[in-house]
Amino acid sequence: MIAFLKNALDAWRGVGEHAVTVPPMDGALSPNQIIEEAPGILEIPAPDNLVALAGRILFSSGPEVHELQLQGAAPSSKIVQRFEHDVSALATSVAGVLAVGLDDGSLRIFGGKHDGMVRKQVAKLDIRCPGALQFVDEDTLLVAIGSRTNPRSGWKRDLMERNTSGSVWRMNLADGRDECLGENLGFPSGLVPLGNGEVVVSEAWKNRIVRLGGPGKVTAELQDVTGYPGAMSPAAGGGYWLAVFAPRSQLIEFILRERDYRTCMMAEVDESQWIAPTLEPTRTFLEPLQGGALKHLGILKPWAPTRSFGLVVRLDADFQPLFSMHSRADGRRHGITSCLEAGDRLLVTSRGGNLIISLPTQDPNGE
Amino acid sequence: MPPLIELRNVTKKYGGISAVENVSFTLEKGEIHALVGENGAGKSTLTKMIAGVTKPTSGEMFVDGKLTSYATPAEALRNGVNMVFQETSLVPSMTVAQNLYLGDEKYFNRLRGLYIAAQQFFQSLNFNVDPWAQVATLGAAKKQMVEIARAVRHNARVIIFDEPTATLTPEEKNYFFALLKRLKARGVSVVFISHALEEALDISDRITILRDGEHVITDKTANFDRDSVIRAMVGRTLSQELYRERTTRRRPGRRVLSVQNLSMGKIVRNSSFTIYAGQVTGMFGLIGSGRTETAKIIAGVIKRNFFHGGEVRFNGKSVRYRVPRPAVIDGIVYVTEDRKIEGFFETMSIAENLFMGELASAHSKGFIVQMSDMQSLADEWTKRLDIKAINSEAKVIELSGGNQQKVVIAKGLAQKPKLVIFDEPTRGVDVGAIAEIHALINRLADEGLAVVVISSYLPEILNLSDRILVCQKGRIVEEFSPMKVSKEEIMYASVH
Repeated sequence: MIAFLKNALDAWRGVGEHAVTVPPMDGALSPNQIIEEAPGILEIPAPDNLVALAGRILFSSGPEVHELQLQGAAPSSKIVQRFEHDVSALATSVAGVLAVGLDDGSLRIFGGKHDGMVRKQVAKLDIRCPGALQFVDEDTLLVAIGSRTNPRSGWKRDLMERNTSGSVWRMNLADGRDECLGENLGFPSGLVPLGNGEVVVSEAWKNRIVRLGGPGKVTAELQDVTGYPGAMSPAAGGGYWLAVFAPRSQLIEFILRERDYRTCMMAEVDESQWIAPTLEPTRTFLEPLQGGALKHLGILKPWAPTRSFGLVVRLDADFQPLFSMHSRADGRRHGITSCLEAGDRLLVTSRGGNLIISLPTQDPNGE
Repeated sequence: MPPLIELRNVTKKYGGISAVENVSFTLEKGEIHALVGENGAGKSTLTKMIAGVTKPTSGEMFVDGKLTSYATPAEALRNGVNMVFQETSLVPSMTVAQNLYLGDEKYFNRLRGLYIAAQQFFQSLNFNVDPWAQVATLGAAKKQMVEIARAVRHNARVIIFDEPTATLTPEEKNYFFALLKRLKARGVSVVFISHALEEALDISDRITILRDGEHVITDKTANFDRDSVIRAMVGRTLSQELYRERTTRRRPGRRVLSVQNLSMGKIVRNSSFTIYAGQVTGMFGLIGSGRTETAKIIAGVIKRNFFHGGEVRFNGKSVRYRVPRPAVIDGIVYVTEDRKIEGFFETMSIAENLFMGELASAHSKGFIVQMSDMQSLADEWTKRLDIKAINSEAKVIELSGGNQQKVVIAKGLAQKPKLVIFDEPTRGVDVGAIAEIHALINRLADEGLAVVVISSYLPEILNLSDRILVCQKGRIVEEFSPMKVSKEEIMYASVH
């Protein structure tokens, strides 16, 4: 009863869980223009899902899987596989197996002893939205299902519907026995298997990174991320890279609290014009400008809040931010959806900029 | 021509312990004389003897060459000797103008005329103080301004300023120094006690240095530099040690505090920042920029806006403290900038003050007070922070400024905090104690605590901080790395 009254009071006052606030980008998330200023190595539509496969670098672009070729005068790519639907997730095993998740909700295995396997269900549930994949060994594949109702391409709708129907599964490719590691997750988008059988998951809609330690055992590793955390990949020397595919803003946080408005917006307005995060600055006159005049933390803050943004965060082994690289609201390299450390460079895909970018792996502050 | 004031071999003892021992001092007409020394060196005691607040145990004082002894401060004031104390002596319930004219009231006062005269007087001093404001509502800086104005108004021949600039902004300091020069030109003699050595070197004609109650040296200011002053004060050079340039900084630990869009009236406006464990976060800003108020909201000393006051998350949990105790229990400690008003109970002993902190903490045993616990707590912290006192039963008011500050810090640390906010931790503290307090702050961060240091002194901010937040008009406007920023850049961010 007291909790109900407190909740009602908080809603009236706009405080506590009802405060429309966003954590600031300071400290390890201090702004810079590194992504914007870094060399772009390949222009290609909607690049995503960078993975390494036996010394090769693969990525997806729409319905195609490409191999990135860095040798030669100018980097290029060649098509490895083409599918009838957009690729939503890729994973590779040490043994050279490639797993592909498609936007129609199917999983396909290429190479190894399960070559040609197609799975559309996990434990009799439709996969529908394969958000992230990760091999534990050749027979075990971790699958993050982003949503039960929307495909990966419908992520914006899933956010506006405020779904938390995501789940993470340990899929046994050999005997078909699947184990649910976590349910009711807010669009899980990145997976890191830990050595002890636990899995760390980035929950985009809950703006956090959690550790799944068995049924119902969820421990938050990093909370209240200032954007929507997506793919994670290991970093040399310990720790991880985290791609934050869109920023949070007070306007969007406010919209997310207004159910009737969202219902109307989804029913009546074209998706490209929704007040929702986007992966790219659309630059149409129908959209509020993303550059403005309010200075905050050294940044010229937009008078209309930012909806797209480019951000990669270096995390330590405990998933705490060490430093970050940005493309600000006035840039174009937005929507960083995946990252992969290759040698002394970090490759990232910018879906907003239709570009693969090569970033330094060192702390920009020289520390 | 004899000096205006001359002290010959004066000694002042309290309970058998010498506060001032066999000191001779002269003040010439129209001279600005800086009195410098560590806390406990005897500067305040010496000047209090001049102003009639205390009487010397032995020795003589000559004014205009005549042997003189003032029985009371009022008598000294009648003879043109006025002292502006570190602790303001204003009446909080009266207005600024009433305080300014206190003691000079007529039988029938025309209030409007009084206020207009007060306003004109403040304008002539370039002090931005509202004469209609009640003194209780003023900040420390404005109270100091009223105090200074009162001394100037009495047309004193000698004005003794005890730490007059500690609470002033750089701009206000400039006005104050211009005022001192005007007073000097009028033939007024000024005794100027300050821990800010640059100020003493800039403004004074002569400097007298005291150490442990004894006279060390008196010479023309031109014959001193910062290092030689410090060497004379403490017997060693601390300058490099205190304010060296940073070459490394600590990595951020876990996010301990996330302040999002915090608002309180017109003072704190939509302020957002994050504090990490294992780091010292420096917060710089001019007086009135909302730094202290932000810290006080976090610690539950004052409240944010009732509606849409923003969000404070401590260790991931949304918190909203109405009083400080729940904040202390959660692990947030605020070490106040105004130690005399908010930091301790001056008539209570060190042990009792420290135990007050313990009582408010999460590990308090409640109302049952064991004297042995209180004593062991006092012994532990007086030893850890090297609080210099006769014993832990000594009253806090009897301690020097640096040791009083250590008591306030110890009271906070006894509460076993996770986040400590130091507000002007070295204000009115001598260089020796500053070095100790800096070392303590660094040690706390090394141990993994989240530490915030609010300071108006740029070298301190640059030396202590792992990251620097600049506050302006109620919000954090910039963040800097101490290794990549100059004083000018920080000051520019705090003004523009």
